[in-house]
Parts: sequence; structure tokens; C-alpha cells
Amino acid sequence: MNSTNFWKLLGALGLSFGAPWLFLVVLPYLGQSDAKTVPYGEGEEVEGGLAVYPDPTLQRHGASDYGRDIYAAEGCAYCHTQVVRPTYAGSDMWHSGWGGREEAGLARETQPADYATEGVALLGYQRIGQDLSNIGHRVSSREEMHRHLFDPKSFDYESAMPAFKHLYRPAAVGTGFVPTPRAEALVDYLFSLKKDQPLPKAYLSGN
Amino acid sequence: MTVPQPTQEDLNERAAIDRSARYPVMFFFTSAAAWLLFATLMGLLSSVKLRVPGLWDDCPFMGYGRLFPVHTNALVYGWAMQAGIGVMLWLMARLTRSRIQSPAALIVAGHLWNAAVVLAVVAIWFGAGRSLPLLDFPGWMWPLFAASYAITVLWVIPMFLGRRNALFYISELYLIGAAVWFPWIFITANLLINKGSAPVMGAGANAWYLSNLIYFWMAPVALAVAYYIIPKISGRPIYSYPLAQASFWLLAVLAGWTGLSRYMGGPFPAWMSAVSGAAAIFILLAILATVVNLLMTLRGCTKLWEYSPSLRFTVLGMLMLAVYALLSALGSTFVFGKNLQFTHFTAGLDLLAFYGFFSMTMFGAFYFIVPRITASEWPSGAKIRTHFWFNTYGVATIVVITLVGGIAQGGDLANWNPERAFSVSTTNSGAYIVGRSVAWALITWSNLVFLSQLGLMFLGKGRKSSGPTLIHAEPGEVSSARAAAGIH
Repeated sequence: MNSTNFWKLLGALGLSFGAPWLFLVVLPYLGQSDAKTVPYGEGEEVEGGLAVYPDPTLQRHGASDYGRDIYAAEGCAYCHTQVVRPTYAGSDMWHSGWGGREEAGLARETQPADYATEGVALLGYQRIGQDLSNIGHRVSSREEMHRHLFDPKSFDYESAMPAFKHLYRPAAVGTGFVPTPRAEALVDYLFSLKKDQPLPKAYLSGN
Repeated sequence: MTVPQPTQEDLNERAAIDRSARYPVMFFFTSAAAWLLFATLMGLLSSVKLRVPGLWDDCPFMGYGRLFPVHTNALVYGWAMQAGIGVMLWLMARLTRSRIQSPAALIVAGHLWNAAVVLAVVAIWFGAGRSLPLLDFPGWMWPLFAASYAITVLWVIPMFLGRRNALFYISELYLIGAAVWFPWIFITANLLINKGSAPVMGAGANAWYLSNLIYFWMAPVALAVAYYIIPKISGRPIYSYPLAQASFWLLAVLAGWTGLSRYMGGPFPAWMSAVSGAAAIFILLAILATVVNLLMTLRGCTKLWEYSPSLRFTVLGMLMLAVYALLSALGSTFVFGKNLQFTHFTAGLDLLAFYGFFSMTMFGAFYFIVPRITASEWPSGAKIRTHFWFNTYGVATIVVITLVGGIAQGGDLANWNPERAFSVSTTNSGAYIVGRSVAWALITWSNLVFLSQLGLMFLGKGRKSSGPTLIHAEPGEVSSARAAAGIH
């Protein structure tokens, strides 16, 4: 094959791949990159007096960036998803608490902007465990969250979750274990997972 | 139509090409096989951990969330890609009748690649992973992989340009495709994810990368092998050359659109997973056309399958490719996909690609290439048989079990009865995980046998013989046996 034909071949290979590369990946990525917060309109009263969606303060508590790194490093996303699919695509919305605070009528499927303050959304790989999109609403106290991490079998003996004992160390006085800063950061992150903020009308209409 | 007999000059030339390829290709092959053994051990360990979560839970390195990505990354970057790069180099040299120039530089590239895999695995294991399937390694690491891959591409393309062969083989098309597509996919996915400005599309780029790695790198390399080995061993030309070309371009046009259906129903614009699902269905056409084309080439000489290890592994790999394409098309539709998404089915399908069709075809290529470049024969036909059957049963078991287990788990996940504990879904799929662990043990054994044979070949301790090592050697059938090993 002479080099002119080679460049033709390369061009054909490039074109065939370039189209999906541009339209399926790069342009949607850049399009989502400049997403801005959307303010609530007149008469849209939201609990807590929030002014915009997504609430920039909701998803970050102290060291929760570090907590997200711990979540990723321990491979939590291999067993836990952070995706709540609409009812036509799965039964997620029927699982108690997955879609958010049902008793307040706030449960909904996840939206792209819900992940706005993470670098990459940890959507997950498998569901060996529950969906964690709204775990921040489902666990009542930090202590309970720590107990979930330290000894998952104390909640459900059949749980397939490993105990993350290396995130805890024996207490200096008495018996028991105390969380390391890494465990605290992970718990911060888990409590920041709240993806049921009401959507402004402007967001829904795409303006 | 018969294939012309090679002259003595041709044979000398082939021997010279094989000699030039020996050290770099054997380096890639042997380190790939070592990684394979490591990866299967990790596969075994991670599936044991999935069933017995409390095992060694004081140890941070023994969590499923770390073992599983260590396993998949070692399997893909350690084994699959190195095996594929080695095959790519040898096949391109043979097809274009050009010797490999300065093999030492390729060995340097191989060391760089291995260093990158070691760093990636260590980083994931010591808690610097990113929970992004197959892009788990820390963000600064991708240039290492890209650079060492680029070196191999810089060797493959000039061979193609400086070809001394008037014939243009379909395998070359696939090899050039694989050579140029992979860096493009890999760099795009890494740059976008590291940029971190669009979180959901970052996850989308990850899903797209996974699917494109399979259809734009693994499938082309495996098909290049099949389009080479099947005609070579059967001594017949490809059944239909135009069909082969058409299915190549069909794959080229469609594969880039796949991937996003992994997150269908997720926080993406709905058209994305719809387009990906449609592409996965259309791609089934390209794959089935290819596999039928290859099988038609073999029509009437299936007896060769009994003798030739290369042919056996390659054909099995191609059948698994067809099954993969079929199941991923089914899984991309809402009807099946909504209950199979996020279950063992997803994991089983990925494994069917990485281990099922790709690795099987690579084993076929190894059994063909290694005796030629080391100028000695495989030590034992019985051990090839062990490798084949343990592997086949192991992979078939894993794939069937994860797929069926996935369907069962999907049914449990779809059940939202609040009276029912969530863990019922994991308890119910527990038996499948036990089966998966047993299957990984079978595969580990078969790969140990394989590595020991390959190690002997690497050290130049292969059998010195004029006849090839066959799976069954029967007296009185030497002529067909020679044909079985691709010697005409």
C-alpha cells in the first residue's frame, strides 16, 4: 500500500470513529461542563430557603472531598450505585428511600446536576448493595453510619458488605473502636449524598 | 482453489522474520501470561470475598472493592493488552513480510508498559483507586500506558507502509484499526475524566471507554488473528472477502456509538442510551457476518479442530464473540436491560469479552506463534489439552453462572416489597458466587499449566522436533496432523 492510500485509509478510519467520538462523547461533555445553578422562580417555596438548584452547600460538608476519595479508593462504587432510574427503566423508585424523602413527596429520579460538585459521578458498576443516591437521608446519626461501616452484619446478618475495620482503631481507654479521620471523612461524604432537592420549574423547562 | 506451496526462499524469509520478532514478542507474551496467572488468582480471591465478606476483614488489602479492580486491571492491561500487542507485532511483520527493526526498543516499551501495570495495580491495592472500571489508576498514570503503546504503534505502521507483499490481507485492516483507535479512545476517556468538569458525562466516557475497548481494540485484534489462523490452518482462502471487508466497515462505523446503554435510565439525555442500544443491536449484524464467514471458511475440514490447538482456541473465541454480541444487544434493550442492569449479568458480560472471546483467541495465537519464533515445539500435547478443557469449562461455567445469576439477582432487585430485606438479593445469588469461585479455581489451574509450558518455551527448553505438538497425535495421520498445525 502506498502512502496516499494509507492516508485515505486513516482518514476513513478517523471519520468512522470521529462521528461518535464528537457527537456522543466530546460535545455532550463540553455541553455539560458549563452547567450553571438554576434559581427557583417566584412562588417556588423550598424547605430551608434554598435559592438555587443544585444547592452548592448541600453536597459538601467539611472534608467530604477526601471522603469521596476514600469511597472511590475502597471501591464502594463496585457494589453500590448512585443512580435512581425513572419507573419506565427499572424499579428503583419503588425501593423505600432510594429516590429520597418519600414522606415529604420529594422522591425523584437522579438528574445530571445532582452530581454537580463531584469531578466524576460514581454511578457504580453493580448492585451488590443498595443504591446510595440518598443514603444521607436514610441513616439517622453519624454513629449509626459508623456502625454500618465497622460492622455491617450488626444490621443484617446476611449483608454481603465487608467490615471496614481498617478505618477504625482500638480506643485508647476502655473497649471499643474509634473512627480514624478517614472514616469520619467517608461518613461526611455519605451524609452529603442527598439527591432529592426539588427541581426549579426553570430547570425542568430547560431555560 | 489451493494455496500455492511456499518456496525454500519464502521459508527462509519467514524464519528470518520470526527470528527478528523473537525477543520482543516473547517478552510481551511471557509477561502477559504471568499477569494472567496473577489476574485469575485475584479473580478467585475476589469472588471468594464476595461470598464470605468477613474473611480477613482486618486487612485493608482484602476488601472486595480493591480486589475486584486489581483483578480486572491486571486481566486487561497486564494480560489481554500485552498479549494483543505481541500478536499485533508478529502478525503485522508476517503479513507485510517485513522484519522487526531494532527489537530492543520494543522491549523497552514492554518494560514501560509492565511498569505502568505494576504501578496501577499497586496504586489500586494501596487505596489510590478511583472506582472507575478499567480507569481505576490515579489520574497521572495514563501517559505511561499511552507512551508505551505509542512506541508499538510506531513499529506497526511503518511495517504496514513498507510492505513488500502485493497482497492486502483483511487482518492488516483490523490491525491498523486497533493500532490507531485504542490511543484515541484511551486518551479521550482519560482527558475528559481528569478534566472533571462534567461529572455525569465523565461516568459516561468511562462506560463508552469500556465498550469501545472491547469493540474497537479487542475485537479487531482477535479478528485479525482469526482471519489469519483459520485460512492458514485450513489451507483455504476466506469464504467471502467482500463480506469480510463490509463487516469491518460496519464495525468501524457502529462501534463508537456503543457503551452508553450501560447506564440506560441513568442521568443522561435519553437519546444517548437509545443510540448506544441501537448500535449494539446493529453491531450484532457485523459480528455474526464475520463469524459465519470464518466458519464457512472451515466448512468440510472440521477434523482439523481435533488436532490443532490454535484452531480450537481461535474458533471457540469466535463463537464466544458471537455470544457476547448477542447478549450485549439483548442487554441494551429496555425489555431485558432494565432488570439485568447493575447485576452479575453486567459483570459476566464484561468477563465474557475480556476472558471469553479475547483471551481464547489469544491462546490460539500463542499456540501458533510461539513455536515459530522460538524454533521449538510445545513440550506436551496433553498439557495443551488440560489448558483447553479446564479453561473452556471454567469460562463457560463463569459466564453461564454470572448470566443466570444476574437474571436471578435482577429479579430480586426488581422486587421492592418493603417487608423483604435487601440482602435477600445477595443471599439468593450466593450459590452463583460459589460456582464462580470454583470456576476461577479451574481457570487458575489451567493457566498455571499454560504458564509453565510458555516458560519452558521462553527459556528455549521446548521440544526440538520437526513435527508440531498436536492435541491428539495419532500414528498414521502425520500428513493431516501437519496440515492441522498450519504447515503446507
